[in-house]
Amino acid sequence: MSSLGSDAAGPVTLEAGDVARDADALERTWRDRPGFWGWLCTVDHKSIGRRYVVTAFAMFLAGGIEAALMRTQLARPENAFLGADRYNQIFTTHGTTMMFLFAVPMMTAMGLYFVPLMVGARSVAFPRLNAFGYWTYCVGIGLLYVALLTNHAPDTGWFAYVPLSETLYAPGHRVDVWAQLVTFTEIAALCAAVNIIVTVFKMRAPGMSVDRIPLFVWAQLVVAFMIVFAMPAVAAGSTLMLAADRAIHMQWFIPARDGDALLWQHIFWFFGHPEVYIIFLPALGMVTPIVETFCRRPVVGYGAIVMANIATAFFAFGLWVHHMFATPLPELGESLFTAASLVIAIPTAVQIFCWIATMWTGRPRLTVPMLFVLGFLFTFINGGITGVMLASVPFDRQAHDTFFVVAHLHYVLIGGAVMPLFAGLYFWFPKFTGRLLGAGLGKWHFWLFLIGTNVTFFPMHILGLDGMPRRIYTYLASTGWGPLNLLASVGAATLAASVVLFLINVVRSWVAGANAGADPWGAPGLEWAVASPPPPYNFVHAPVVSSAHPLWETSGALPVVTGLRTDRREILITTTFDARPDARHSSPHGSFWPFYLALCMGVVFIGSIFRPYWVLIGTALSCIGLFGWGWESSRPIERERVAMPNGPVVERT
Amino acid sequence: MTSLRAHSTVADLPSVTFGQRSLMWWGTLGFMVIEGWTIALLLVSYLYLRQSAGAWPPAPSPSPSLVMPSINLGLMAVSIIPALFAARAGGRLDEPALKRWLLALSIVAVAILVLRWWDFRSLLVRWDENAYGTAAWMIVGFHSSLLLLDVLDTLGLTLFYFLRRQPVKSFSDAADNSFYWYFTVGIWLPVYLIVYVGPRVI
Repeated sequence: MSSLGSDAAGPVTLEAGDVARDADALERTWRDRPGFWGWLCTVDHKSIGRRYVVTAFAMFLAGGIEAALMRTQLARPENAFLGADRYNQIFTTHGTTMMFLFAVPMMTAMGLYFVPLMVGARSVAFPRLNAFGYWTYCVGIGLLYVALLTNHAPDTGWFAYVPLSETLYAPGHRVDVWAQLVTFTEIAALCAAVNIIVTVFKMRAPGMSVDRIPLFVWAQLVVAFMIVFAMPAVAAGSTLMLAADRAIHMQWFIPARDGDALLWQHIFWFFGHPEVYIIFLPALGMVTPIVETFCRRPVVGYGAIVMANIATAFFAFGLWVHHMFATPLPELGESLFTAASLVIAIPTAVQIFCWIATMWTGRPRLTVPMLFVLGFLFTFINGGITGVMLASVPFDRQAHDTFFVVAHLHYVLIGGAVMPLFAGLYFWFPKFTGRLLGAGLGKWHFWLFLIGTNVTFFPMHILGLDGMPRRIYTYLASTGWGPLNLLASVGAATLAASVVLFLINVVRSWVAGANAGADPWGAPGLEWAVASPPPPYNFVHAPVVSSAHPLWETSGALPVVTGLRTDRREILITTTFDARPDARHSSPHGSFWPFYLALCMGVVFIGSIFRPYWVLIGTALSCIGLFGWGWESSRPIERERVAMPNGPVVERT
Repeated sequence: MTSLRAHSTVADLPSVTFGQRSLMWWGTLGFMVIEGWTIALLLVSYLYLRQSAGAWPPAPSPSPSLVMPSINLGLMAVSIIPALFAARAGGRLDEPALKRWLLALSIVAVAILVLRWWDFRSLLVRWDENAYGTAAWMIVGFHSSLLLLDVLDTLGLTLFYFLRRQPVKSFSDAADNSFYWYFTVGIWLPVYLIVYVGPRVI
């Protein structure tokens, strides 16, 4: 290793007894307090990440149940299973749940759990912020689902277009629920994004220069930047504009008072289109280590994949207007956005060719994660192709607001995000739990899921081309749409059955699955160097990395740096580009204040739906939380080595 | 457990660092980007509404008054001085000087927050009168929420230093507090130019 010198005495194998003693000390330092209080106050990124994954998967099930209700309603013409009002609430809640409460949180959750493990760190950069983000997300879930169960769920679609969502056409509080729910999820996503960026920038294992960062981590990093620039748009749009229009009679979108309804579409889709890539880039990041592991070779085109991720993120911010082709926009602008929408297919194709080349030149094993990767390739490519079709203005105007778009977006999101996610869950379940998921049930799950997806959504292309609009709760028999709708509903039932099989597999495997060991797949990433599930401190000593595949390319014992304290929570800080050890920072213990402040956010934003003064009450309550947060940060007083800004290092208490 | 071999030791590395060697500096930078970007989006929305409106401000709304906002802008510029000296005192680990400058910054910061009331009044339009008023109020309002947060942070830090002894890393936190203060002041400049000066010149 050229960038990181070792001690003059040279590498020394650590005695197993010394390592075990350090591990015991670290266990005492890093473990949560026992009982409910410890559970509530935990800031362990793995506990928070696991909760995030379980909660987001529960939201996937909730969104799936809503989809099943819709498919039941649409299975035959003039069905009376759901009324129009209930159907509107269900389809809005379905879209909102899947986009805001399942997909983005699930992808960031996987990052919050695995990024520190993959970069060889003991924690995330800001553990309490991480916990705050999770609890804020939970407040948002509570808001939406209490509203749904009390017949107050939003009913204007997951994008809440104005003027439909203004008070004139949507009185009551249903749209307010949507607007504030979005705020909670955006706060949570932004907290996660800052955490991931700083963790990757400053906490990578010594030697993990930017060209050795695992590709899953690269994807998470790129997406974190996308979140930073996309989420403020929807937070501003929903809270500072739509909710303000509704609550205090602001005039952002009221044309009679110089407002502009199209401004909402610009703001929303400036977030909304990158959102799609925020969901599926991390999923593509999961594909790479799975393909590498089961093809037994490093991925072809590491640099190309990194550049493809960055290019996708860049172009993703230049496509939003293709959601607005049916609005009166200048023709030149439409042409530019058509071109951008076509161009973004290129970096995605680059990644796909890299995986195909890896499989072609490797020795693929058709394990369950690999089956899901193959299912992803098949399904996602189909969805991508219809995306290219929709980038064309004349075609888009024909297909706009029809079931063709529903088919396209589900091929992209189920193919491009859910299938890789299932691949990732099968791949990393052993790391979460120490147990392997059953392969037999896994294959049943895969085939039913693949067949169900295509049987559900392929007919929707034809229905859309035949003119069936989106968001209608029923249709006449004379339209002739009945048989294909029935077929789509049968497909949905197949999908539901496959997910039930997955749940059975999870429960069975968690209770009595085969023990996985640290690295059941012989995978190359650092997360497989620690026990399954990982201990609270992750690594006894920070690993030293000399390649992008450390467990494959390290012969003998794993090189590590020693010297981090075991009697206090301490993390290693490294330099941003070449990851040279730079400092040791303390890391906080469990805290009640993240939970408390998330509740205060609830008071501010939910209260603002009803009376503006709740904002003041919530802010005052937040001050107590901020004070408590700062107060506990100012202890303990210890002797420290201080690197002064002008250079010298001094000891100071 | 995988066997391990010692490559080197990090025991001699510093445990308190400043600026970009500190995690908190990066976290602060992250939130500055998010908040700055949000203000940028609001300003773009303001200009978007402006370009589709016939007159700006729309009749009968007058242009904003510049007197009090200009005074407050001057005070914000002055506030950079105690923030800068607080950061320098933190960097020297000079606790008495840090306490003095934090106190000075707190006083100026509270004064700026109080004067913000007149910044709103100087808009000379209600938030619900028209989209112009809406956009102007929301931009100034959003910046005010950042200002409030920063004032609370400064007051809290100052209070902690006067209430009890602080750990060494608080010196670094004080420097980061100044870093965020520069941002709060700096991001006000485009707001002042577009919202207060803009209607008179474009």
